Amino acid sequence: MTAGPNPAFAGRGVVDNVLRDAGLTPSRRARGLSKILWWGVFVVAVLYFFVPLYATFLFSLKARPNLAAYTNTLDDPQFIGSLLYSFVVGLITVVISMALLVPTAFWVRLRLPRLRRFIEFITLLPFVIPPVILVFGLLRTYSRAPIALTNSNLGSDALLVAAYVVLSFPYMYRAVDTGLRSIDVQSLAEASQSLGAGWLRTMWQVIFPNLRVSLLSGAFLTLAIVIGEFTVATFLARPAFGPYLSLIGGNKAYEPAAVALISFGLTWIAMGFLAVIGRGSRTRVQVTGAR
Amino acid sequence: MTETALPLSTGGALSARPLRRGRGLLNWLGVAPFLLFAVAFLIIPTVYLVVGSFQDAAGALTIKNYGDLLTPTNLRTYGNSIEISAVTAIAGAILGFLLAYAVIAGGLPRFLRSALMTFSGVASNFAGVPLALAFTFTLGRVGLLTLFVRNVVGVDLYNDHGFSLFSKLGLEIVYLYFQFPLMVLIIAPAIDGLKRDWREASENMGASTFQYWRYVALPILMPSLLGSTILLFANAFGAQATAYQLTGGSIDIATIAISRQIRGDVLFNEGLGYALAMGMVVIMAVSIGLYSILQRRSERWLK
Amino acid sequence: MARGFGLVASLALAAAACTPAAGTAAPSSAAASAAAPSSAAASASSGGASPSASSSAAAGGNAQPWAPDATLLAAAKKEGSLTTIALPHSWCNYGEALSTFKTATGLTLNELNPDGGSGDEVNAIKSNKGNTGPQAPDVIDVGLSFGPQAVKDKLIQPYKVSTWDSIPATAKDANGYWYGDYYGVLAFEVNTDVVTNVPKDWSDLLKPEYKGQVALAGDPTVSNQAISGVWAAGIASGGSLDNAQPGLDFFKQLNTAGNFVPIISKTANVASGETPIRIAWTYNGLADKDKLAGNPNIQVVVPATGRFGGMYVQAISAYAPHPNAAKLWMEFLYSDQGQNLWLKGYCNPIRYDAMVKAGTVDPAAQAKLPDTSGTQLPTLDQITKASDLITKNWASQVGATVK
Repeated sequence: MTAGPNPAFAGRGVVDNVLRDAGLTPSRRARGLSKILWWGVFVVAVLYFFVPLYATFLFSLKARPNLAAYTNTLDDPQFIGSLLYSFVVGLITVVISMALLVPTAFWVRLRLPRLRRFIEFITLLPFVIPPVILVFGLLRTYSRAPIALTNSNLGSDALLVAAYVVLSFPYMYRAVDTGLRSIDVQSLAEASQSLGAGWLRTMWQVIFPNLRVSLLSGAFLTLAIVIGEFTVATFLARPAFGPYLSLIGGNKAYEPAAVALISFGLTWIAMGFLAVIGRGSRTRVQVTGAR
Repeated sequence: MTETALPLSTGGALSARPLRRGRGLLNWLGVAPFLLFAVAFLIIPTVYLVVGSFQDAAGALTIKNYGDLLTPTNLRTYGNSIEISAVTAIAGAILGFLLAYAVIAGGLPRFLRSALMTFSGVASNFAGVPLALAFTFTLGRVGLLTLFVRNVVGVDLYNDHGFSLFSKLGLEIVYLYFQFPLMVLIIAPAIDGLKRDWREASENMGASTFQYWRYVALPILMPSLLGSTILLFANAFGAQATAYQLTGGSIDIATIAISRQIRGDVLFNEGLGYALAMGMVVIMAVSIGLYSILQRRSERWLK
Repeated sequence: MARGFGLVASLALAAAACTPAAGTAAPSSAAASAAAPSSAAASASSGGASPSASSSAAAGGNAQPWAPDATLLAAAKKEGSLTTIALPHSWCNYGEALSTFKTATGLTLNELNPDGGSGDEVNAIKSNKGNTGPQAPDVIDVGLSFGPQAVKDKLIQPYKVSTWDSIPATAKDANGYWYGDYYGVLAFEVNTDVVTNVPKDWSDLLKPEYKGQVALAGDPTVSNQAISGVWAAGIASGGSLDNAQPGLDFFKQLNTAGNFVPIISKTANVASGETPIRIAWTYNGLADKDKLAGNPNIQVVVPATGRFGGMYVQAISAYAPHPNAAKLWMEFLYSDQGQNLWLKGYCNPIRYDAMVKAGTVDPAAQAKLPDTSGTQLPTLDQITKASDLITKNWASQVGATVK
């Protein structure tokens, strides 16, 4: 039996209603059973994720007095400073990464399908190249004439952002690609163009909104990478959060646990904000009927 | 809706229906910014890597480094990396997919979905020292769970069952902590694209849940599933800090071996480090090649 | 036999250390120092005559607080900052040393990669040749074996501090490229809340009561501290400064017995009870003890036999972006005040014997030092040979049996 969804059935709400009225609905009991199953999966996952965090929390409370690990951390100006630095760098990285990759993925899908494997390989390279080698290469290239970026703090910051954009390639591209795959890019583009929109408008008002879910997930990943990253920030001598974590993790027993949990929590909250912002205006036309 | 008169069939159709194709050069303009950026900040360090792998300590050209790759020690190193990465990729993919499906299409409350997505973003990068410590506190010899299982369930993991967190198995369990969420994040858009109408349509046609999965959902999802698994494989392959912290480098994996050579300590042999890294690139290229073949096969089912 | 050899070796070292100190009561007579010796040197040398009460709070004993040489200070101020690398604040009390230096000179401090190892430091110099930005270190503090290698690779520049002559001849490069700064002895850092029967010697570690409790503080293929740990274990069971193989055998035995936990043990691991016995330098263990302040209780045990010392050396990068600041930092570290700060961090500063003779040792810090008599300090050749053996064979002999 060949498979593939019959496009004829997609979105035919009228047909569904007719069938439903005729009593041909999937059995409630089967649905209920599967729901229990999915809840089970969810609960197990939650346990797996939270028990280690809880264990870390218990350990951090062993400091005397109990919350000393937390107060010490929050009192340390370097904590907030480095976390903020990494967060800002992360946001900039996300923006640049999106600006580079969405048009590229779109273009490749539409105009240059032959280039797809090549582009994919390039975006997967950062996975394979150990960050330590990447940063050494960057240092060697950009620490002297003709382009001496490292001589200034701003230049080093720029180099850091560039390195992070590169590190985000695999995730961002994969997210965008998956997103593009699940919407009918060609039709959308053609429809938009036949209505008179130029490429830029098409990208901005048609493609981007439909990619919101994928872009958000790519953004989350990139932000998390940047905040947790250690190697590149260390070798570029930037006051980022990763090096700070290792600084206090050196000979302190309880503070590292507290810092890890605080940063986990703060990053999570930050992502929550991103999600809310990303949900944005609901007035955009949902062309693909995704939930 | 997307109902247009255009044929929604094979991907090959894209090139058969050029969309106001301009001059060939203009096409390249669209990908130019990305390529320029990649060359400046990715390709150039890669070139150093490639060139460096052919140099010995004095800087002269040699292929001895590649010969050294074939020693049993290094082969075992790669073997360990591949094994750990493959196991965690597959396990992470399956579990991640199940979890993602549960919150998106499994009928759970909507708010759980965004909570999970944001959590996954954070958890997928909770690695290195904090993660190793967290699991030590949980499954270490005096960890919370270890003690719980020993005192409440009566099972002594370490003494009776020879379990150790600081082993390959332990490492795999820990790796899942970031593999799992990564999968959730990557596969979410694809599950999103599974239209509910398809499910209802298939049910209306009399298909059972199993048939739905076998003939509708899985074929559609397969390219994304495969791609994500490969990505997870690469992610695990490149992980280093967690493994290093958890096992003190006693389990030889490729990334640790490379950083040992590059970091310039007693074992210092930069050229070998680069050669090892090149080995990693080759393995990745092979995986991507595999993925392409598989994907082309399964893409038949997709528009 | 190993013990006897060790005794002779340490006597020889002590003899060598004594000579220069006896020869120059006043370090200011050192002719080779680059900067003109100033008031700092003059006041430090005069035995017990100078008033010590007011300054002892800062410098200890009869030592005067460090007074930087004016010309050098001016040149350093023009450079504005100092870039250090791999100096954790609780390692030999570097935290206090850095902040004292900062207050005394007004320079900004740029601290790189505190978790780094000696190899990282050398690598940082190498990969930043010609880079005048904040990524290039000015000064390094590395294991002994890295000194001569760095000279060969032309990565460091010579400098002789004003107190040069009171540094033992065996602990410095004749041309002034590198110079020993402090040494420590390998000990057991024990969490006594978990381990009630504290091990006294290396052989005790093999006892079944310590199953799953013993760990190193680093990776024995990379970390100087861990390599020394493996080597030292062997000395107590048939090895020597010339033969590190018994060390590998010992750890293989430890691993098979199930006592060895193959992780890089950090303070948190000791505190949580996961690895309640950690093999580390005395100064690290004692710093932890102070830091944890009884939560939990830590005891630092210097093993009864097999006492092994490791020396670190300082050097200035040949490509230092701030060479004068670097020289100023060296002057500080080798002043009495600097040496006493290291002593406060439980490290044995290299000018210790000279300072004891001159009465400039901080008595409070001196009293806190554990008894480390009989410690053997290996020579450069011995270190190279042993490191080679251990790093190349760890994985196959010990690591392979780790699951």
